[in-house]
Amino acid sequence: MIEIKGIYKNFGKLQVLKGVSCNIEKGEKVVIVGPSGSGKSTMLRCMNLLEIPTYGEVWLEGKILTPVDPYLHKDIITKSKTFKQLAEKERSENSGLTDEEISSKIIAEIKKNDLLKKYEGREFAKAVKELYKSNYIKTNLARRKMGMVFQHFNLFNNLTILDNLTLAPVKLKIKTKEQAEEKAMQLLKRIGLEDKAKEYPSKLSGGQKQRVAIVRALAMEPDVMLFDEPTSALDPEMVGEVLSLMKELAEEGMTMVVVTHEMGFAREVASRVLFMDGGIIKEENNPKEFFTAPKDERLKEFLSKIL
Amino acid sequence: MRFDIFYEEFITKAGYKMLLEGLKNTAIIAVFALLIGLVIGSVIVLVKISPFNNWLFKILKVIGDIYVALFRGTPIVVQLLLTHYVLFPLMDINLEPVVEGVITFGMNSGAYISEIMRGGILSIDKGQMEAGRSVGLSYMQTMMKIVLPQAIKNILPTLGNEFIALIKETSVVSFITVIDIYKAFQSIANSTYEYIVPYLMLALVYLVLVIIITMLIKLLEKRLRASDKR
Repeated sequence: MIEIKGIYKNFGKLQVLKGVSCNIEKGEKVVIVGPSGSGKSTMLRCMNLLEIPTYGEVWLEGKILTPVDPYLHKDIITKSKTFKQLAEKERSENSGLTDEEISSKIIAEIKKNDLLKKYEGREFAKAVKELYKSNYIKTNLARRKMGMVFQHFNLFNNLTILDNLTLAPVKLKIKTKEQAEEKAMQLLKRIGLEDKAKEYPSKLSGGQKQRVAIVRALAMEPDVMLFDEPTSALDPEMVGEVLSLMKELAEEGMTMVVVTHEMGFAREVASRVLFMDGGIIKEENNPKEFFTAPKDERLKEFLSKIL
Repeated sequence: MRFDIFYEEFITKAGYKMLLEGLKNTAIIAVFALLIGLVIGSVIVLVKISPFNNWLFKILKVIGDIYVALFRGTPIVVQLLLTHYVLFPLMDINLEPVVEGVITFGMNSGAYISEIMRGGILSIDKGQMEAGRSVGLSYMQTMMKIVLPQAIKNILPTLGNEFIALIKETSVVSFITVIDIYKAFQSIANSTYEYIVPYLMLALVYLVLVIIITMLIKLLEKRLRASDKR
């Protein structure tokens, strides 16, 4: 469903993500854990392009959201001027190698030394453009299919709870106002807050805000839900109500990607747990293996500290 | 201090008519300048803070910066003189001095309002924009529906100050032959050689004007705050 390939993200000189790849299948519940500053939130935010990856590609349901990254496509690299020049040179120097060997050697060299420049000839540009044109999806359209829940809720402060839920579906002409309000009231009923429909977000508690934020995302009927530390800003007594709503969603078969520190949730709900550290995915496994038999040294240390 | 001289000139010889004319001009210039300023200010600020970085926006951003630098970098009197005696004559434009005043003050306050609005927009948590984008709304849709309404509520007191400043600054339009409150009292003073009372009255009129406007702004603020019962 979501596939990220070779994502790098730099903030100025700071490199937060150093080549992350990950494929999230329909129905999976992927939980991402790791120490703070490991890049887990950044990776999640790259999935719906709230952060734009410096290198790498993001794909959603077979459509590309980012520009094409030529380094990820062998057939595009071989069309570049740089590749052709290097191949020429290589062939004249090492006539013993087969074409296959030469090309894999050069591709490795090009990737390692970041040799591709913006202008690599017409053939190269055409290949990049063609791949993009036949596969792209507009970011705003892609985001409709990915619900996002933030650490700090980010409810629209100037709108009532009901309007928070109906704004996007109505504004984007997905639903009529009546349809959207009916759906919104259903969702609010589900979380037991239908009596707050006409209130403003400032009247709600943290747990209520976060549950409203979850159903605001659900109002768009997304295919996948992204959770960015949804319980980290909550009072301890309110964590439970948010987690149980998330569990309900998981049971209904929603595809979910969750960045969290709630190990209990990971153990209980996840179909796969990723451990991130220093901008890469250090280990991934099913929750049982992940917690009982971690292999990576850093992960062992991390688990010993938090469990 | 001779009240009788002032009274004779102001009431008997109908000096108050000039004051009414002056009040009218001050009001016209301040109100319309504020409206023009709001439009210009919004345009400049939207260009300045937009995330778009293509060449068109780069040029527009530079133009915005130059605009603000020009209008904040010279006194309003100089701007008025330039419009009235240099710019419009050169371009062969012939307008009522009051209209010239409206245009100049409007463009001037546009520069200030753009900075006020920029502060207001930046004061809104960037999570609001992210939340809007995450449900599929465009930058502009989120800006118009979520960020700007909150920003405007925040900057309302400052906009009120800008309006009060405008009212007071209009006292220099007499430089381009517009009759305003100042001009009305000055002419009384000049024709009677009695300066104390007219100029005290001048101060009083401005003071009362500003107090009334301050009260109106407070009322408006209260009503806006009431709508979200914080």
